[in-house]
Amino acid sequence: MALPPPPPQFVLRGTQSAVNSLHFSCRSQAQSPPLLFSGSLSGLVHVWNLHTRRVDATLDGHGGQSVYWVKTLGDQRLLLSQGRDLKLCLWDLAEGRRAPVDSLSLDSVGFCQGSVLRGGAQECWLLAVPGRGTEEVQVLDMPSKTSVCTLKPEAGAKAGMPMCLELWQPASSSHPLLLAGYEDGSVILWNVSERRMLSRLSCHKEPVMSLDFDSRKAKGVSGSSEKALCVWGLDEQQNLKVCRTQELTNPGIADVVIRPDGKILATAGWDHRIRLFGWKQLKPLAVLDYHSAAVHCVAFSDPGQPREQLLAGGSKDQRISVWSVYNQS
Amino acid sequence: MAVFDSPQEAFGILRPVCVQLTKTQTIENVEHLQTKLHTIGDSALQDLQEYVLFPLRFTLKTPGSKRESLVQCVVECITFVLSTTCIKKQDLLQELFSELCLCLSSPNSQQPAPVSEELKLAVVQGLHTLMHSAYGDIILSLYQPCTLPHLGFAISLLLTLAEQEKSKQIKTSALKCLQVLLLQCDCQDHPKLLDDTEREQLGDLFASFLPGISTALTRIITGDFKQGHVIIISALKVFYKIIGFVMADEQLEKIPKDKKKPSVECRVAELMVHREANWVKNTGSKLATLIEKIVEFVSVHPHWKARMELIELVQDLLLKCRQSLLNSVGHLLKALVGLVNDENADVQSRCNKVLKTFADQRIVVESRALADILSENLHSLATALPRLMSSQDDQGKYSTLLLLLGYLKLLGPKVNFVLNSVAHLHRLSKALIQVLELDVADVKIVEERRWGPDRLAESSSSLSEPPLYKSKSQRKYFRFFTDERIFLLLRQICQTLGFYGDLYLLVDHFTELYNESVIYRKQAAMILNELIVGAAGIEVEVLHEDKSMAGSEELRQVITSILEEYISQKNWYLVTSKEAEGTMKHSHLQAITSDVHTCHLAPLPSSSELSLTVCSMNSNIWQICIQLEGIGCFAHALGREFRLLLMSALYPVLEKAGDKTLLISQVATSTMIDICHACAYDSPRDLINNNADYLVNEISLNLHQMARSPHTPIVLEIMFQNSDASLLPLIEDVIQDVLFSLDQFHDERAASFLSVLHTVLAALEEQPPPSEAEMNDVCPDVEALLPVQTQIAKDVMERCIHLLSDKDLKTRLKVLDVLELCVTVLQSHENQLLPMIHRVWLPLVHRLTNDDPLAVLRAFKVLCTLGNQCGDFLRNRFSKDILPKLSGSLVTQAPVSAKAGPVYSHTLAFKLQLAVLQGLGSLCKELDLGGGDLNKVADACLIYLSAKQPVKLQEAARSVFLHLMKVDPDTTWFILNELYCPLPYEPPHPSLYPVSLSGMAKPRTEYTDNVLLLLAELQG
Repeated sequence: MALPPPPPQFVLRGTQSAVNSLHFSCRSQAQSPPLLFSGSLSGLVHVWNLHTRRVDATLDGHGGQSVYWVKTLGDQRLLLSQGRDLKLCLWDLAEGRRAPVDSLSLDSVGFCQGSVLRGGAQECWLLAVPGRGTEEVQVLDMPSKTSVCTLKPEAGAKAGMPMCLELWQPASSSHPLLLAGYEDGSVILWNVSERRMLSRLSCHKEPVMSLDFDSRKAKGVSGSSEKALCVWGLDEQQNLKVCRTQELTNPGIADVVIRPDGKILATAGWDHRIRLFGWKQLKPLAVLDYHSAAVHCVAFSDPGQPREQLLAGGSKDQRISVWSVYNQS
Repeated sequence: MAVFDSPQEAFGILRPVCVQLTKTQTIENVEHLQTKLHTIGDSALQDLQEYVLFPLRFTLKTPGSKRESLVQCVVECITFVLSTTCIKKQDLLQELFSELCLCLSSPNSQQPAPVSEELKLAVVQGLHTLMHSAYGDIILSLYQPCTLPHLGFAISLLLTLAEQEKSKQIKTSALKCLQVLLLQCDCQDHPKLLDDTEREQLGDLFASFLPGISTALTRIITGDFKQGHVIIISALKVFYKIIGFVMADEQLEKIPKDKKKPSVECRVAELMVHREANWVKNTGSKLATLIEKIVEFVSVHPHWKARMELIELVQDLLLKCRQSLLNSVGHLLKALVGLVNDENADVQSRCNKVLKTFADQRIVVESRALADILSENLHSLATALPRLMSSQDDQGKYSTLLLLLGYLKLLGPKVNFVLNSVAHLHRLSKALIQVLELDVADVKIVEERRWGPDRLAESSSSLSEPPLYKSKSQRKYFRFFTDERIFLLLRQICQTLGFYGDLYLLVDHFTELYNESVIYRKQAAMILNELIVGAAGIEVEVLHEDKSMAGSEELRQVITSILEEYISQKNWYLVTSKEAEGTMKHSHLQAITSDVHTCHLAPLPSSSELSLTVCSMNSNIWQICIQLEGIGCFAHALGREFRLLLMSALYPVLEKAGDKTLLISQVATSTMIDICHACAYDSPRDLINNNADYLVNEISLNLHQMARSPHTPIVLEIMFQNSDASLLPLIEDVIQDVLFSLDQFHDERAASFLSVLHTVLAALEEQPPPSEAEMNDVCPDVEALLPVQTQIAKDVMERCIHLLSDKDLKTRLKVLDVLELCVTVLQSHENQLLPMIHRVWLPLVHRLTNDDPLAVLRAFKVLCTLGNQCGDFLRNRFSKDILPKLSGSLVTQAPVSAKAGPVYSHTLAFKLQLAVLQGLGSLCKELDLGGGDLNKVADACLIYLSAKQPVKLQEAARSVFLHLMKVDPDTTWFILNELYCPLPYEPPHPSLYPVSLSGMAKPRTEYTDNVLLLLAELQG
């Protein structure tokens, strides 16, 4: 690489605890500043104002138990947080409110993050979370909390616990699909409406830590504790097939995220580094070396002005690094 | 005196005197009449007016030469009558008018008759009174075409008097009278207002006199400074009133193209002027010449009232005649513009008010013609400006710039017409840049250094002072002027430009100049600063209220971009001192290589030119100061919104607050105070505390690229000095960065990181952690987390263990310093300290016993501090691990040094001996060594008390014994006396054993001198 990677644009300090999950919300509404939400080991959700680079609000809804997933519902004010207290909280942050408006009890003790999919109607959405049984994924209709289905691999599949989930809706059909990574290193594609497994791909030898899917290219990527990334595709018969594997220098990928514009892939490494790849060819672009402990999560800002697109990494070292890289093209 | 009100009575009284006067025309008789007149009531006199006037007029009309005094007396008497009565007949008015005028006419010449001043005055006043006594419409009978000759005569008479008389009173009266005669009287006694037709007729009538009147008045006005301002004021008044009447746009508009047939069959009617377009044009251009003269002359008149009247002139003419006097508008505006910043406050405020009226009535903005003229004036001024700025003296520059400022203010938003012309913007900026060139020859600036860590917190008291941008701005010295007012004016000019001008355009232009050459950079920065102040509407007098203020978003963007320029690597890190040169070289070269296309713009184009002259360092210092002042301005421009920019601005300002150059550090401190004012922080301390997260972010990121930011330790230092306990978590965080970086790059940059750690620990030393005892009080059961300070000190000490054996001596020395601070910080936490000492012990012993003399000395210092904190723990280890080696080497080396020549003092061996001897004494004291060990020390050092040893070693050895004396005076006394005992000690009683010391009764030896010195000390 010709140029050394730039330093972070800035670093957010003050979680005083390892950072587990990050989520941007930059499409400003009514002149509110761009926000970054972070969930931390200490059970707090921090709302960072990216203009002032300071915490605007601290949300305490998980009784001090680690928060490992934060996500807004298309709107800056509605926030989901998932914690080790087996609770999923829904927050409405409008008018300075700082208490959850609703919550959902979960039955799984794992670390599997949930996934949401906006339904047809504005106010309706699907939520996938790990279910009661070890291998189960539960899909609920929100905000009614009615269960849509429970997805469980057939007996003897030995997939293990679900590790990561990704709900999506193919452009061609109205049936939502779910990609789930499992403890045994396999990724399964589910048809949610038909409660049917469409395809299963064993792509890792170790548990799948994270996956992301690019529905436009029908291509996804997954990472595990191994020294490799796996890129897989979906053919017209909806079969998952390995496209390629990318060897890494150090083992352990905690998070993989494809940038919303489908150009860049970022990974969070246990080796303290964030790695960037071209999503098309998986060409290594940069190694962002800043953190002094494992990076737990990466996130891209919502697509806005290309120059304003940001990447954030949250680490065990209690810091969130915010980067402005590969923004020119 | 009785007053007679009935005409009968009055007639009875007046008749005899009137008859008498008619018979005999003497002064006495006139006076007699006047006396009687005083006793007559006004209404009675009105009835008898013509009767009384008859003998008086008769007297005037009597042929033959009369005595002047008699004429004067008669005129005064007539004046008296006229002053209390009014004239109701046209012919009486006309007759009196001619009769009075005739009193001053000389038969054969145009000139007034050569009569006494008193008479002239009497006649002028008589005419004045006459004009006021005319009843109603009849005054107009004087202004018929057929009376033109009389009128003309009177006018020329009065003008001649005003111009040629010596007496001020006559001059003024003549001018006043002329004003009345032209029906332009200010007083309220004229009941009849003229209707349009009358005005038109009068206008045509006066038009024929206009050339004569205006020329004569111009001569009077521009005549002599010494004639007094009252005359100038009167003349100015007549001048603009008559022009305003004849040339009034309102009238001229209605005048038909063709001349009407003269309504009166009168030969003189031919003389009357028809004011059609051509005439107006010609007259206008002739008047322009006169007006230009007047403006030029009066605008610099020493008396402010004269200048004030000029403003009235401009206002009147611009309001009434801006079409007809199109050629003069430029001159008129120039007059106004020049007076906008007059030294007299009244003139200034009146002028501003007039300008504001124009602005309010949109005369300038809406009237294309006016704006064009102003733009044209500004164009030509801009063109001449560079030349004027280099040729004029201070006073000249002052007036020129005053004019420039006036145009800018008057044009308001229209100033962009001029600025949009590249050529003119270029000239304007060239002139500003040229005149703002600083004089940077003052050597003191480079030499004045800041010493010691004077704390910002102490400067917080100055928060009550006015902010920098107002007055406190550093006094600057300019190459091309000395007058401070000129700088003030230049600032106002830039502010006005910033207020009205297209901010993006201006900022772009001056940023370009800023980047173009180091020659322009300082001036361009000064201008940019003021543009922003102006754009924010601070201190700008608003003439054009419709001017929309620069949107705060626009302003924020512009400021952000300038700020980025200012604090960029190449503009912020300039060489300002000799000692900095070395450290800068690296980073600068890096800046050059990383930014090739701009390197020719950098102040130091190549390494061969790195050795700088004082001037260029001076220039760099000013550059930085101006940029710092700019940051203060920006803060004020944005107010609390500037808080957001602190994330990039505060760090560089703090860097400069810690600069070694006094001026820079002072200006940076003022900038911080400015920021406090603007962003509502109580003090610099408050500012730092509230923005420590931004600072830490910068510091941490910079630590990852230390070579490019050699000033990080300075900022850390200032931050620590100004931070309170609430910042400890942040500090701990940044220390983690330092330690992390140290672990990563300890080979190349250990020294820089160590100096940061040194700073941190020095700061922690002053904020000691709660002691273990205190902590146990708080939560006795739980093993509490370590206080942050303790944790930091422990972490740092950990690194010291590795670095103590670093191959670089400088690093080892720094480590020893840091180690010492760690020990101090950890002093109340023995549970942490002792295990650490245990680990640090071995490398430390090596420093003491097997290192460079410098390291040995520092190691001694560390040991002393250690001894202070944990003596018991150390004592055994010292006597076991260190003392034998040290004393051994001292003993073996002693014979060598005793025999050595003078060159020996340059050897390493000597320096080691010296270091050990210098350190040993205080260590013994700190460790409170016991008997056996003390003896070992004494034994090893005694030999160095020998006179054969080099003097420095003797001195050092003596210092050991001086310390020993404090630990154990008796033993020391004994040891010394064993060597040489100067006194016999007789037992006080025979029954006691005699004292026997081996040093007794010895001949003088090589030790004698030093022993005696020490014993004297012991006894003293």
